[in-house]
Order: sequence, then C-alpha cells, then structure tokens
Amino acid sequence: MAALWVFVEALNARPENAARIRIAALVATVCIAAAWICGGYWYVHFYPPEKALILKGPWPFAHNLFMETKEHLFFVTAILALLLPIATRENLYSNATARKLVLSIALLVAMTGLAVEGAGAIIDHGVKVALLQGESKGAR
Amino acid sequence: MVSASDSQPLKLTPATSGFVLAAAITVLFNTALACTKDAYAPLKVFMKSLSGHDWITHGLVDLLLFVALGVIFMQTKVAEKIDPNRLIGVLIGAVGIAALGLALWYAFF
Repeated sequence: MAALWVFVEALNARPENAARIRIAALVATVCIAAAWICGGYWYVHFYPPEKALILKGPWPFAHNLFMETKEHLFFVTAILALLLPIATRENLYSNATARKLVLSIALLVAMTGLAVEGAGAIIDHGVKVALLQGESKGAR
Repeated sequence: MVSASDSQPLKLTPATSGFVLAAAITVLFNTALACTKDAYAPLKVFMKSLSGHDWITHGLVDLLLFVALGVIFMQTKVAEKIDPNRLIGVLIGAVGIAALGLALWYAFF
C-alpha cells in the first residue's frame, strides 16, 4: 500500500510533496522489514507442520510451487523496498529519469508484493483442503 | 513552479545508480542461489548450519550482497557510466527474469 502511495505521489511530483514521497518510501521499507521479521519467524517456527499437512493433502503444489516461489520472491520485494528510499532522495520534480525510476521501483514492489500475497492465499487453501480431506476420511 | 512534466531526462546520483545496479544483480543472484541450493542439498545443509535455517542465511546473504555491491558501485561510480534509462530497463528485466525463473524452476524441477 505504501509503495502505491509512493507511485501516486511520484506521478504528480512537485517540491511540495517531495518530503511526503520520502516518508511514504520509508513506510514501505519499514513495513517490508517488519514482514521479513514477523513472517520469517512464523515461517521458521510454525510452517513445518503446515508443510507436512500440505504435502499429504490433495494440493502438494501449494508448497512445492507456491511456497517455494513465494519464500524466495519475497527477497526480491524486500531488496526493491530497500532501494525505494535511496531512489526517492533524488529531486523527482526536476529529474524525469529519477521519477521514472521511482515509479518503476514502486510498481515492482506492489506487483511482487501482490504475487507473494496471492501465493499465500493458495498456501492457506492447501492447508484447508488437506484438513478437509482428513475430516472427510474421519467421518467415513 | 517546476513540475516533473516540464523536466528533462537527467542523470542519477552515484548512490542511486550504484544501488539500482546492486539491486538488479542481487535479485538475479537470489534466484540463482535458490535454484542451486534446491538442486545441491549439501549447500542447503551448509546454509542451515550457519543460522539455523537456510532461508535466514539466504536472506542475510542477499542483504549483505546488496549493501556491499551498492557501496562498491557508489564509490567506484561504475553504474554512473550506464545510461540511466538503460539502468531502469536492467532493473525491470532483472526482476522479471528473477521472478519468472523462480516460478519455472519450482514448477518443473
């Protein structure tokens, strides 16, 4: 969301919103850093039982494809989010190239972030269908 | 009043261009390391032994590489010699290849 905020502000870059763009870029970086720490803690400590469940269930690709891709694609989003505050130190209102760069980075952060979120939804469903399969077997 | 629409294409500062090039290289390295540790189990075991989990080591290596390359490129001004528009293209291309590479690797291997 903060990356989209940067994108929208950078589309209309003026001296008046230069500070706001830099703040939004910092917010994006802090949010990604928090996701890295909190999500990483969850992944390392609590994901292994979910992984075992997914692999026994009807959607093993939820781990083999989506989780494996997601956990490494996240690093791409994180590196781009770290780059964003550096790029927004340029004077975007007077430098069209810098503005294009910031728009590109912000859009890439948003797009890769959405891909990571979408993969997360499929992984959740992988757990859900595995649990449902176990429940239906138990009911028989 | 100066607005972005009136501005002309300009160069980027050494810090910006250096870290953009560093980011492009790091995201490609990230995909290469992910595929290598997946294909070569001893590397995954070694990475796990360093921090307790290969994913933690992977993230730290990416972070260190990004910062180290960024500082090196900033001080040597290597990235400044590249046309800024081409540099933006390199970053977008690197992210596209890195993301697609990860998805294709885990889909087929």
